[in-house]
Amino acid sequence: MNASSQVRVRFYATFRPIVGGKHADLPMPEGATLGDLLAAILERWPALREHLVEPGGSLSRRANLLVDGRMVRFLPDGLDTPLEPHQQLDCFPAVAGG
Amino acid sequence: MRLSRFGQDIAHVDLASGRMEMRPAPEAWVRRYIGARGLGVRYVLEAGPEVDPLGPENRLCFMNGPLSGSEASMSGRWACVTKSPLTGTVTDSHQGGWSGARLRWAGFDGIVFEGCAPRPVYAFVEDGRIELRDASEVWGLGIHATVAFFRERYGEKNLSVNAIGPAGERKNRFAAWLNEDDRAFGRGGTGAVGGAKCLKAIVIRARQARSQVADPARWKEVRRRALDAIRNEANITSPRKGGLSVYGTNVLMNVTNRIGALGTRNSQKTSFGDRAERISGEHVKETILVEDPTCHACPVACKKEVEITDGPWKGLHMESVEYEPAWSLGSNCDNDDVAAVAKLIDQCNDLGMDPIELGNVLSMYMEASERGWVEPGTELAWGDTHAMVRLTDAIGLREGPGELLAEGTARAAARLGHPEIAMAVKGQAVAAYDPRGLKGMGLGYATSNRGACHLRGYTAAAELGVVPGGAPPVDPLEWRGKGQLVKVFQDLHAFSDSLDLCKFSAFAEGAGEYAEQYATAMGIEFGPDDVMAAGERIYNLERHYNNLAGFREGSDTLPERFTREPSSEAGSRGHVSELDAMLAEYYAARGWQAGVVSDAKLRELGVV
Repeated sequence: MNASSQVRVRFYATFRPIVGGKHADLPMPEGATLGDLLAAILERWPALREHLVEPGGSLSRRANLLVDGRMVRFLPDGLDTPLEPHQQLDCFPAVAGG
Repeated sequence: MRLSRFGQDIAHVDLASGRMEMRPAPEAWVRRYIGARGLGVRYVLEAGPEVDPLGPENRLCFMNGPLSGSEASMSGRWACVTKSPLTGTVTDSHQGGWSGARLRWAGFDGIVFEGCAPRPVYAFVEDGRIELRDASEVWGLGIHATVAFFRERYGEKNLSVNAIGPAGERKNRFAAWLNEDDRAFGRGGTGAVGGAKCLKAIVIRARQARSQVADPARWKEVRRRALDAIRNEANITSPRKGGLSVYGTNVLMNVTNRIGALGTRNSQKTSFGDRAERISGEHVKETILVEDPTCHACPVACKKEVEITDGPWKGLHMESVEYEPAWSLGSNCDNDDVAAVAKLIDQCNDLGMDPIELGNVLSMYMEASERGWVEPGTELAWGDTHAMVRLTDAIGLREGPGELLAEGTARAAARLGHPEIAMAVKGQAVAAYDPRGLKGMGLGYATSNRGACHLRGYTAAAELGVVPGGAPPVDPLEWRGKGQLVKVFQDLHAFSDSLDLCKFSAFAEGAGEYAEQYATAMGIEFGPDDVMAAGERIYNLERHYNNLAGFREGSDTLPERFTREPSSEAGSRGHVSELDAMLAEYYAARGWQAGVVSDAKLRELGVV
């Protein structure tokens, strides 16, 4: 990533009232990973911590973080995956229905 | 209402003669097939798998389960079971609201209709009696007017009205039954069977009855445990906090869109892009939601009642904008106008049709129109909502091109000479999960015993990470392991559909909660392993029926669009459904030979 890249993070469902909107742009430094982006999200919205991470710090099994539509938890490098230019992150709480 | 009596109070109604007889279900049937779905399938099998679905021999069973209408949470469900005129398989469909509960409170565990009435009738149910009464005044009316008529006649209090609309009267193959809350026995064309039998409605008047069990303290305790699971804030069922409760089923729209599992333009694409937001549950809540109605004994309140305040559908007040029709009539028809979606759902409800099949038949016809395969002058353009409204009326009334489309997606596409553009399995159209983005759901469509269906084995719960009890999520794009996963979900749901608890209970409860509630209600020993064994037995009973009805090797398929045309959008980009590999896993897990259940397996499971 370039030094001053902004990453678009989109929020859905019950996360929207927590963050007060549908999306936000977060500045991320060059070489940042998805884990760095998650840390930035939690720093800005601490109330999301209980929804996004387990007590041990791993990704919550009840939330879905998607990068380019792929679930972060199933990427080969998970949160260590480097962010690429123009990528967006989607943050979903647990959802289902049908 | 002594719960352990379940199965003793089954009414058999011969519509031809008007004779009604009470006969208890055979004890072995109740023990093996539990109730609702399982017991209903056994009654339908008894009539023979070769019957004409629209003929007098076919049975139309409205069945409660042992928990229906009790104080157990999410027990406001009952089943309609028959041979489907859409698929030729056995089919069961489940409805929420209060109708099933009121049937139980009126003294019935189920009603089995046979024969055809010589003229339109409705069944009036009250205090252990069923009378067939003249329905000539309501024949021809829509669902909403029919409900209003009976409320005027019998009063609104303690009254449930289940009716078919003009579509069912005309034997539209995907006609449905709907009740006073617009809750539907939606899939499989059960309304057409009602129309063929000249049975317009079932009107039930009953006051709430309390359950009686042998061990009331235990009954209270096991219900409390299940309710605690539903209320748990970690679960999506949590009242006013979980995503399902706050936004309804349409909370799914954005996530399936982003992972590339939201069929668009007749599943030619797997994502609706940024337009999905406009028909999502979040958008509905922000713009048109006015109320969150619920069903008997349910704290979740997933129904979403809306009001349209501007535009061509101004003044429309309806429930409910669900995920399935928001997809079928929305992205799949290239329509991002949520007011038009609400209008189409309401219109579909009033005509008495399945909105999933309706959206599919419209999107199929849109693709056929685009490719020049329909009669000039009858084309339907993508996203033309006013034309969709007009054609929906024509389908419900079997007029013009609606005559063809009332036959359902698969038959209509075949008659247009292009069966490949019907997104259907065994004659029933797919639901709102593209198999290229949620691999388990594709295998579930292929192996469903009632034609393509998302509710037979809802593996999306695992693939989206909402299984209760700490089970790890499963990669939606991985095909390996899906054979066993689909079997587990199918068996679990076959049991809960037979209790009959809402499918969404599975987002909070598991086999343990089901077992202890059933055991306490019936006063028997019954554990989680018994739940899975009974579910497997019911699933094999259905498969046995279908095998006898002609569904043999090679019947478990998917449209080639899903197996040969890779997704080009969103998270599923580049993926197809690896159906053959998954089927091999699945058949091994089931112990079936190419989709056929052997006599040995039937004996092993106690089916025969």
